[in-house]
Formats: sequence, structure tokens, C-alpha cells
Amino acid sequence: MQSQVGGVRKGEWEARLADMKYTLYLFRKNPLVMAGTIISLFFIALALLANVVVDPNLAYPEGYLNAIYPFERKYMWSANNMINWGPGIALYRGPEFFYLGTDGWGRDLLRMMVLAIPVDLYYAAIITIGAAVFGTLLGAIAGYIGGIIDEALLRITDIFFAFPPLVLALVFAAMFGRTLETLALAIFLVWWPTYVRLIRGQVLSEKEKPYVEALRALGAGHSRILFRHALLNSIYPILVQVTMDFGGVILTFSALMFLGFSPSPALPELGNLAADGYGHVFDAPWVIFFPGLTMLIISLAFNLVGDGLRDILDPRLRR
Amino acid sequence: MKLYEYIIRRLILLVFVLFAVSVVIFYLLRGFPTGIAPWAAYIHPRMTAEQIEAVIRAHGFDRPIWEQYFYWLRDVFNGDWGLTGIWAQGRPANEVFFNHFPYTVELSVFGTILTIAIGVPLGIISAIKNNKLPDHVSRVIALAGYSTPAYWFGFILQLVFFYYFSLWGLPHLPSSGAPDFAVAKITGLPIFDGLLAGNLTYVWDEFLHLILPSFSLSFISLGFLARIVRASMLEVLRQDYITMARSKGLKERVVIYRHALKNALIPAVTLTGIFFAALLGGAMITEYVFSWPGVGQQALRAVFQGDSNFLLVYSLVFATVIVLANLVVDVFYAFLDPRIKY
Repeated sequence: MQSQVGGVRKGEWEARLADMKYTLYLFRKNPLVMAGTIISLFFIALALLANVVVDPNLAYPEGYLNAIYPFERKYMWSANNMINWGPGIALYRGPEFFYLGTDGWGRDLLRMMVLAIPVDLYYAAIITIGAAVFGTLLGAIAGYIGGIIDEALLRITDIFFAFPPLVLALVFAAMFGRTLETLALAIFLVWWPTYVRLIRGQVLSEKEKPYVEALRALGAGHSRILFRHALLNSIYPILVQVTMDFGGVILTFSALMFLGFSPSPALPELGNLAADGYGHVFDAPWVIFFPGLTMLIISLAFNLVGDGLRDILDPRLRR
Repeated sequence: MKLYEYIIRRLILLVFVLFAVSVVIFYLLRGFPTGIAPWAAYIHPRMTAEQIEAVIRAHGFDRPIWEQYFYWLRDVFNGDWGLTGIWAQGRPANEVFFNHFPYTVELSVFGTILTIAIGVPLGIISAIKNNKLPDHVSRVIALAGYSTPAYWFGFILQLVFFYYFSLWGLPHLPSSGAPDFAVAKITGLPIFDGLLAGNLTYVWDEFLHLILPSFSLSFISLGFLARIVRASMLEVLRQDYITMARSKGLKERVVIYRHALKNALIPAVTLTGIFFAALLGGAMITEYVFSWPGVGQQALRAVFQGDSNFLLVYSLVFATVIVLANLVVDVFYAFLDPRIKY
């Protein structure tokens, strides 16, 4: 008996392993997904190492506290480009060379962008994962229990969907002060209802499947059926949604920063760095160009992974 | 459930949604006053203390917050939405809103038209050439579209089509803003009124100003549309009636455009409807970047001023538009696809 069960388990495990291998094979075969994965991993690694690569104290130049807003803005594009032009440019490590120019505070834009990446990634990750976990729990419970709880939760999400998307976040941030945490909470508030809808639909369809009935016949409790089986079987759509949302959240976060919800004008954050160039598009275009481009690349990389994952994990689209 | 029962149910829901939205916005803005005082717009320096006191008492500003809400509700039912702050010269909130709303409508219509015109063909090409080079190219365009920071793309457009084009002596587009309203105001929509008045110079000028913001808007959203069209097209192309049409010997072009496309566009209709409704709320970032005089930009200013009266009008109109758009889309859905029943 024991060996039989073990044998069945082993067979199942092998099947799962084969499936995973096939998934990985499809993953590797898709050049866009691979490109997205590599770029995302690069930015995550850069975020982890940012404070080692660049001295974080550079973000707050001397005298910053005394002169909150410098009236003479210092924009510079590769200050000594002409002098250093040539093969030696890659070796030049002098303090006055700015690869991507400087921002309005006279700081090296490239270094500020490196410092900005962990801020953006960190808050985007917190918001996305928070919204996914919260929404998934509520959606799973709503879908599984049904009845009045389901109805009430759906109406609540209706209300959240009917809010102007940025206004709730903006009002919230304006009321409770401009800190990064408030901003993250505000974005979280408009983000979680999507997950409730998604998971509720998934659980509703899983609930009717024969295996749930079999589990019930075996005497499995509700929480076991819901969390160990129904939710695990709908993990793929959640995974895809989280990956795709990450790009959206990071854009929303930086857009709010751009619109002026930054706690400090000197905070190195991609949207905030871009906002520095708002009135200077034509005389200092790089101030807005490079942070925005970085934002685009990060968001695109995560979206590529998510989009590819959806195709790979969807059995109907597998060939 | 009959269709009309469904519609009535949804309209009842609308009332609840509006109530909840107004309560939340009201409580957040009046309960945590950070900006101007709500009565600031009603008073002027030459008023005596008693007069100010009377104004405050008339609008219930001295009452607890939940009582204030009912004062506000009473005023709304009397057609008084309150005054805006100094940022909008203290005019009535609804007047400010509906002065700027036509500009947002115009921008949304143009943005949606562009989105459909580019997004749908892109999706069809992706589906037909599934997993070949055109699919990869259109996938990157689509994903780049919704990975692009709206503020950044707007500035790039301004930089290229205004600044560099004028630098190179090419015919260039205007960078931002909209021309002053130069014709008699009938509907408030600049292009429509311009056409009614026969002022073609004004219409052309307005149109030129619209190109960059609406392209910026559509570029952000056409990716979604293209992906949805692709997915539903792939779904439809696998169905039996398509095999049937092909085996009848129909040309591939006919199969795709006459048989498959109609069914494949049903999800796209939904998305476009919701997208259009969301745009009517004012694409804040695009309006901010292009200084477009729509409601989104006004709402942004109102948020920074803590102006509850304007934001209440704005949120309520937005919520109504969203709920109604969802309803229209659902009904339209049933109309397009007779298999759907309510």
C-alpha cells in the first residue's frame, strides 16, 4: 500500500517536472520573453547594488538643507565632452564628467538614476504584492462562500472602480501628507479591486470542478479545498497579472511623483527626476529623456515577461 | 432576468455608487482640511464678521462633518454645487467643470478614434501572422505602448514635432495648449462649434493642437486594444465555422474580414467603451503635459488646492460616466452577441 501511494506520487511528480521542463523550454525559445527576463533581472540586481555602486550621499549635495530650491539651476550636458572625446572617454573617471549630463541640482543624472531605481522597484513591488495578496484573499473568499458576502464585496469593488483612478490616490496623498508610504497606500487602494474580480472568477469556475467534489467526499475542510487546491490551481493567472501589473504600478507611482507628489524635490526617483525637467524640455531635454527612457525599459521588460508568461502558461495557446 | 430589469438594477446601483463616492471624497476633503477653507470662496475682504458668520452658518460649515454632508446634499439638489477657490476665480464648481469638459470630450473622441484606427489592424496582423515576425513587431509596439510613461512620451512628441521640426525649418505642430474659443458657444465643443459657425481657420488650428495630445493618449492605450483583438481573433479563428468557411473555398481575406473579424471585435468593443469612459475623466498627465484645458488638468489643480467642491463635481460626473459606460457596453454586448442573456 505504502509503495503504491509512493509510486503514484512519484509518477505525478515526474509529470509535473516534465511539464515544468516543457514550460522552461517554451520560455527559452521565446526571444522576447528571454530579453524581458534578462533586463528585469539586470534592473533588480542594479537595485540591490545601487547603494554600493553609487554613494547615496551624492543625492543631497552640500547646502541642500539651507537652500531648499536653488534659484540658479545647473543643467549640463557632458560638461567636458569636447576635451574627453576619443578613445580615452571610457577610461576617464574625473569628477567633472557626466555621461548623461546633470539634473537641475547639478547632480550627475546617471548616478541619480541608479539611486532612483531601488526606490521605484521597492515601492512598486510592495504595492503589487500587497494588492495581489489582499485582493486574492478577498476574491477567493467571495468566490468560494458566495451569497451576501460575495455580493457586498462586488459592490465595494464597483465603488472603487467608479472612482477617478488618480483622484482617489491624489486626494489621499494630499490629505495624509506626501510621504512615499502614503503614496504607496493610495495606489494600493485603487489597485486591489482588480484582483478581487480576477480571483473570484477563477475560484467560481474551480469550485464547480469534479475534483472539488472528490475532495469534499474525502472529508477535506473548506480552507483546505480553497487554499491548498482551488487557489493553487488558479495561481498562473495571478502570476501573469502580477507581472503585468508591476509595469503599470511603477508607471503610476512615478507619474504621481512627476505630478508633484514627491516628499522632497531632491528625492532621487525616476518620476521626480523627470519632473525636474518639466519647464526645460527644449533647453535641457536630457533631464526628462533619460529617466523616462529608463522607466520605459523597466516597465517594458516586466510587461514582456508577463505577456510571454500568459502565452506560455495558457494551455490553449501552446502548440 | 429581462434586459430592462437588468438596466433598472444597474441604475439603482448607480445611485449607491454616487452616494459612496461623494461620501468618501467629502469626508477626505472636508475632514482633513489642508487647502483653502471651504467658505473662502463665499467671502471677500469687505464683509463684516457678522456677514462672514452668516455665510458660514448658511452653508453649515460650522457643523460636524456628517451634518455638513447633508447641507452640501441639500445645496446640490437646489442646483448649487458650491464655489471653487481662487484658482478658478471662485466661479461655481459646476460652471468651471462644464466649461472645460468639452475640451476633454474632444480629446477623448480623437484619442479613441486614433486608438481604434491603429490598434485594431495591429491586432489583426498579430493574429494572422501568429508567432512570426509581424506578430513580434506588433507585440513590441503594443507592449511599448502601455509601458510608456505618459509624461515622457508627450514631451518627446513636443520635442520632435514642435522643437526640432521648427529648428529644421519643417512645418511643425503646435506644442501645447488650445486656441482661444473664437466662435459663438453653442455646444462648447470647439471643433463642432467652429464648423457650425463656418470658421474653418479656427477649426484647423484646433485640429492641429489636438494631434499631438490625442496621439500621445492613443499610443498609451492602443497596445491593450491590439492585444485583446489578437487574443479574440486567435480564439475565433480556431472555431469550426471558420474551418467551414475556408473549406468552402473562400479567400483567406474574405474569411478573416467578413467572417472572423465581426465576432473577434466583440471584446474590443467592451474595452473601447471602458477606455473612452476613462478618458472622459480627463487624462490628467497628458492634459498636464500639453497644457490642454480639459477637466483632468483642472482636477489636478483642485487637488493641490484641496478644493472639495470642484473635486466632488468631478468625481460624481466621472463615476456616473463609468457606471453608464459599463451599462451601455453590457447592453451593446448582448446586442452584438445574441448568445449572451441577462
